[in-house]
Amino acid sequence: MSYKDRRRVLWVLFLIGLALLAVVAQATTLVRLRFQDLVHHSNSIARVRCLRADTRMENGEIWTDTTFRVLSRNKGYLPEEIDVRQPGGQFQHLHSHVDGTPEFRPGEEVYLFLAAHNGNQFLIVGWSQGTFRIHRDLRSGGETVTQDSAETPVFDSASNSFTKSGFKNVAVNAFEQRIHREISRESE
Amino acid sequence: MTFGEKEKTMQNTLRQFTSLAITLLLVLWSVITAQGYAFNEIVPDVRQPGGVSSGSACPVPSHQLTSAAAIAFRWSTMLGTNPKTILTQNQTPSGSLNEIEQVIQQSLSIWTSVAGTALTAASVAPPVRNSSANLCGSDGINSICFDQPDMAFTPGVLAFTRVITADQIGIQLGSGAPSAQVGQILDADIYFNPSDSLVTFSTPLALAANPKSYDLESLLTHELGHTLGFSHSAVWSAMMFPFAPAPGTFTGMRPTAQLPDAPLADDDRTGTRVLYHDPADTQFIGSLQGHIIPANPLSLPASPPGVTGIFGAHVVAVDAASGAVIAGTIGGWSCQAPGPAQFDGTYQISGLAVNRSYKIYAEPLNGAVGPAEVSNAISSLCRNATTDPGWPPLQSCVVPAPSLEFTTATRSSP
Repeated sequence: MSYKDRRRVLWVLFLIGLALLAVVAQATTLVRLRFQDLVHHSNSIARVRCLRADTRMENGEIWTDTTFRVLSRNKGYLPEEIDVRQPGGQFQHLHSHVDGTPEFRPGEEVYLFLAAHNGNQFLIVGWSQGTFRIHRDLRSGGETVTQDSAETPVFDSASNSFTKSGFKNVAVNAFEQRIHREISRESE
Repeated sequence: MTFGEKEKTMQNTLRQFTSLAITLLLVLWSVITAQGYAFNEIVPDVRQPGGVSSGSACPVPSHQLTSAAAIAFRWSTMLGTNPKTILTQNQTPSGSLNEIEQVIQQSLSIWTSVAGTALTAASVAPPVRNSSANLCGSDGINSICFDQPDMAFTPGVLAFTRVITADQIGIQLGSGAPSAQVGQILDADIYFNPSDSLVTFSTPLALAANPKSYDLESLLTHELGHTLGFSHSAVWSAMMFPFAPAPGTFTGMRPTAQLPDAPLADDDRTGTRVLYHDPADTQFIGSLQGHIIPANPLSLPASPPGVTGIFGAHVVAVDAASGAVIAGTIGGWSCQAPGPAQFDGTYQISGLAVNRSYKIYAEPLNGAVGPAEVSNAISSLCRNATTDPGWPPLQSCVVPAPSLEFTTATRSSP
C-alpha cells in the first residue's frame, strides 16, 4: 500500500471514528440500564401471557392497562393476574401517543421486569428495556428471549467503543439462570 | 454509520435470511400509502357522520395546524433544585431562565427553518413562561415541564412526550379550541424526568463544562418532533432516530444563522415537507412509490387474512449522486377511501427534490431500530370491532406483525 493510500485509509478511519462518536448511546426517552440495574430496580420479574388491554382516563390522562396472566415468577410475589400500566392509548375520540412504550398482543408471552405501582398494578422498568419477548421455534420447540431494546448501542467509555449489550435470541434457560445469578448477587 | 456500512449490514442480513426471496417493484400507485418518514397515525371515527369524520377509515397522520401562531407552547419555570437537573452557564435565576427559554426557541426554530414546508416561524407563537408546578396535563395547551413527576416515569426513563390527537372534527380538550381537522393534535406535553438524581440536562452553553449531562437542545428538538406528529425514524443520522446522543455530545451540528436547521438530517427535512406540505413549493414535489412483495406468496402470514405484501420494511431513498440518505419510511400498506388500509407491500417516499436520481433499498426492521420504536406508526393503522365496538366490518382491519426476516432483489415494473 502506498503512502498516499495509507493516508487515505487513515483519514477514512478517522472520519468513521468521528461519526461513531456523534452516534447514540441512550434512548431519547430512556437511560440505558445494565441487566443488573434492571434486576435491582424490579420488585418483580415474571413470565406472563397477555390477556387483554383496556384504556382509561385517570387524573386527566389516558392510560393503557394491559392484563397479564402470570405463568412463572422469577423475583418477588405476584398474584395470578396483574395489570401493567403504560401512558397512552385511545379514549373516546382522543388518541394519546407516547413513543417508546411497548405494545402487546393477546396470547403473546413475555418476561417483564416490573415496578410495583398500586396493588395489582405495575409499571415496566425502563419500558422497552424491561420487556423481553419469547420466541418459540416451531420446528425444535426451543424458546429464546429477545429484549425490546436489544439493539440499542451503548458507548463504553472504558473501551472507547460502542457495544450492544441487550439480549437477543438467548435461550430461555440461560436467561432465567442469568436472572437468578443477579438476584443471588444482589442478596449477598 | 455511513451508507456503505449500512450496505454491509444489509448484506449480512441477506446472507442470514435466504429462505425468503422478495421482489421490489417500482410502480406508480395513486392511493394513500406509507409515506416518507414515520408519523403517528390515527384512523378517523367512521361511525360518525362523514362531515366530521371524512367517512374514510384510511389512516391520517397526526399534525398541528400551521396558521399564524397556531402552535403555542408554555413552559414551566419550576426547575429541580435538589439536585439541580437543568444546568445553565448563567447561574443567576433570571439568567438561567433566559438561557433555557433560548434553547426552547432555538429548538422550535430548527423545525420551522426547513425550506419548502408550510411549517414556518409564523406558525409558532413565542413560548410563554408559567410558574405552575403541574403545568403538563391533558388541558388542550402544549407544555414543557422540567420538574413535574409523572406516574409513567420508572428507573431508566429520561423524558417522554404525550401527544393527543382527535379522530374527528369538533373534539375539544380542556380550554383548547375544538379540532378543525381530523388528525389534529389537541395537546402535546414534554416531560423531563425530575426524579433521577443521576440525570442532568445542559444547555449548549453549559454542556462543555458538564460532560456527563445530556444536551438539552438535542433532546428537546427530538421531543418537539413528536409534538409535531413524528414517530421515530430508522435512519441513524436523523433527529428522530430513537436514541439520543451520549452525555456531553449533541445530535448533528449546532444551528447557525446560515443553517438554522443544521441539526436535522435530510430524513427529518423530507418528513417535515411531507407532513407540512407547502402547496406553493415546486422543488420538493418528487415521489417514489412501489411494492415489496414476496416471490413466494406462501411466505406471507396466514393471519390476519388479506396480507399480500411485506409489511413493516424500512424503505430508504438514497441520492444517487451523493450517496446521502434522503428519506426512509416504514412501508407495506396503502389505503384508498373509504378504507380500510390494505397490507399489500406498498411504500411511498414523497417530498423529494425533483431533477435528482435516487436509489431505493429495503431492509427488515431488525437492526438498530426495531418495531417497538415505531409502534405508533404501525399499530394505529387499523380499527375494528374489537378495538371499537360497533365499528363497520367493511372498514375494519387488523395490523399484521412486521416482517423481520426477508431478503431483497429488484425487478423493473411489469
